[in-house]
Amino acid sequence: MDNNIIIRNMNKFYGRKQALYNIDLTIEQGMFGLLGRNGAGKTTLMKTLAALHKKKNGEITVCGVPVEKAKKIRSMTGYLPQDFSMYPNMRTDEALDYLGALSGIPAKERKIRVEALLEKVNLTEHRHKKVKELSGGMKRRLGIAQALIHDPRVIIVDEPTAGLDPEERIRFRNLLCEVAEDRIVILSTHIVGDIESTCEKLAIMDEGRILWKGTVRELLENARGHIYTANIEKQYMSQIKKEYIVTGIVAQADYTTVRLVSDAEPDLPNAVLTEPDLEGAYMYCLHANGCSVKGGEE
Amino acid sequence: MLFRLECRKIIRSAAFLIYCVISVLFFATNYYNDCKGGVYISSGEYKIVEDHDLIMDGAVNMLAGEYTSNKYVCYPFGFYKAVHLRESKQEKIAAYLKEITGTDGKEFEALFSGGEKYYTGSSDQPIYSFDSIPVAEGFSYDRFREIMADVDDMLGGGSYYDPETLVYNYSRVPMTEDEAQAEYDSFLKEDRITGGLARLFSDYAGIDLGILPVFAAAYLTSADRKRRMHEVVYTKSISSFRLVFTRYAALVFTMFIPVFLEMVAALIQALFEYPGQDMDIPVMFTLPTFWLLPILMFAAAMGVVITEIFSPATAIFTQVVIWFMSTMMGSAELCGKIGRFTLICRHNSPANRAEFLMNQDNFIFSRFFWAAVSIVLVMIAAYVYEAKRGGRFNAIKLFGKGGILRRKA
Repeated sequence: MDNNIIIRNMNKFYGRKQALYNIDLTIEQGMFGLLGRNGAGKTTLMKTLAALHKKKNGEITVCGVPVEKAKKIRSMTGYLPQDFSMYPNMRTDEALDYLGALSGIPAKERKIRVEALLEKVNLTEHRHKKVKELSGGMKRRLGIAQALIHDPRVIIVDEPTAGLDPEERIRFRNLLCEVAEDRIVILSTHIVGDIESTCEKLAIMDEGRILWKGTVRELLENARGHIYTANIEKQYMSQIKKEYIVTGIVAQADYTTVRLVSDAEPDLPNAVLTEPDLEGAYMYCLHANGCSVKGGEE
Repeated sequence: MLFRLECRKIIRSAAFLIYCVISVLFFATNYYNDCKGGVYISSGEYKIVEDHDLIMDGAVNMLAGEYTSNKYVCYPFGFYKAVHLRESKQEKIAAYLKEITGTDGKEFEALFSGGEKYYTGSSDQPIYSFDSIPVAEGFSYDRFREIMADVDDMLGGGSYYDPETLVYNYSRVPMTEDEAQAEYDSFLKEDRITGGLARLFSDYAGIDLGILPVFAAAYLTSADRKRRMHEVVYTKSISSFRLVFTRYAALVFTMFIPVFLEMVAALIQALFEYPGQDMDIPVMFTLPTFWLLPILMFAAAMGVVITEIFSPATAIFTQVVIWFMSTMMGSAELCGKIGRFTLICRHNSPANRAEFLMNQDNFIFSRFFWAAVSIVLVMIAAYVYEAKRGGRFNAIKLFGKGGILRRKA
């Protein structure tokens, strides 16, 4: 059976406003990252894949099923929206059970799956807590559990780590990697670190367009020769920020080490070419595609 | 089972709790109070008799007034509507009036110049009323019914001349003491007490069931969106029809629970008030269920469908209007007239069994009609839900920013 998501020349409009332009993408089994700024069109693309939005034209097939067959798509897709929420007065296990019932799982089987999923997302000891009593991280874990309740072949998670503390973020990323072992997981985020630690393949979006697609390694290679570090006297910092895309600043005792993106060697004393990191590679990708990038500018 | 989970969700909601409290308060302050110490039927209360002279006399005077004012009040489907006729149709009415009164020319004009003239509201159009227009001697009642049927057709139905309702509109007489005693005997023997009490119970409960369910239905239908979990629900594999119908069924079922408990309370009260009397126990449940369920179904269905298409506020507003028209205008008679399309049937008396039975066909028809309308409304809601779920439809905003009815500054 086909295990890919294939998107061909897909366009999406909100009324007269075009939201997605000629999207062409193939997503294979495993974790796939969709990286882009807020408003880049990631959520729109996610919702279109989950059959929540209607595309204008083009083709989308999810594991061989055209996205127009909404019922079939729903049965094989788990979706965790950006602002996941549940009835606040429901207990955690009840909430999961209810969403399992909406997925058409028989009661007996639901009971087993709810137990297993609560265990998997480490919520067993909080099962009797009301949803409103859960922390942000716990809610997200409940969110991923509900997306998995019907054992879908595709999981779509939209900005799942926003607002989580570092510990919860790491825990959540690990959870995603675990569930991606035997299915497609699409992770949409504007946080480069999420992609860096979980995805092998990714696409970068901006203003409704795919700017770049490939592996993380390829993206890093693409930026090679364009990422520099330099030690700058503090009084020149604001000038540097105006002239370059600064991706990192480390303040030292009497100078500042900056990490910056530049097409050519910067006209700075001590500037040295350095190994690209994903954040720098992402910024370079945006810059190279003509997007206005304000990295570090105050 | 999803139905059970939906019921549990509803029962735990604040909207349901408020609904229960209001419903019980309404029951306690109306029905329970009325029946405390047992019901009584006194002379002077009105009863319906089929008196052809009374009917013809009342109807011809009503028609004379409406013809002279050229304002005919109708209640098609129970809703108020004022009809103004074209000249040719007015001439036809005039011809009928001449035929019924046996007058013509100047005699007819003289007869119709004696009406009482008054004004209502802010209108400067006068309204006329008559009480002394005579029916020609020996005028046949069959012919009179034919004329009334034609007049009702001309007015689009639901007028005061509908042959089916003539008897309820014009043929009421006060009961004598003997008649009151006979009515009470009928309450004890034919209705076996609970028959009459069940009608009175249904009359009261119908009023609150015509309006209260819409609040809970609108609130619960919009709950997913309010909790920002609608997208999670949309992506689940359940079909829209199954989801919407299950939720609707759960709404109707749970909202009927307090009504059922009130029936039990009413029965216990009756057993205390009439100890040792022969009673028809099942009727205390069967009649109110048949009477009230369509009302509850309709109010809940309106809450669901209008919330899906527009908003909870619009659903509540719409049902309040329908409820107001249905209780205050369409069913102005507290006892008696039940039309084929009456939503909230009234019978504010434990007596008048015969009168209720006269309406039985209309009563039965109306119950099935509103139940069917409710099902159709829920089917529409399911269709709209499916469209929203696939991103093909967004709720229509009427008021506020971006609303289609927003006044432009």
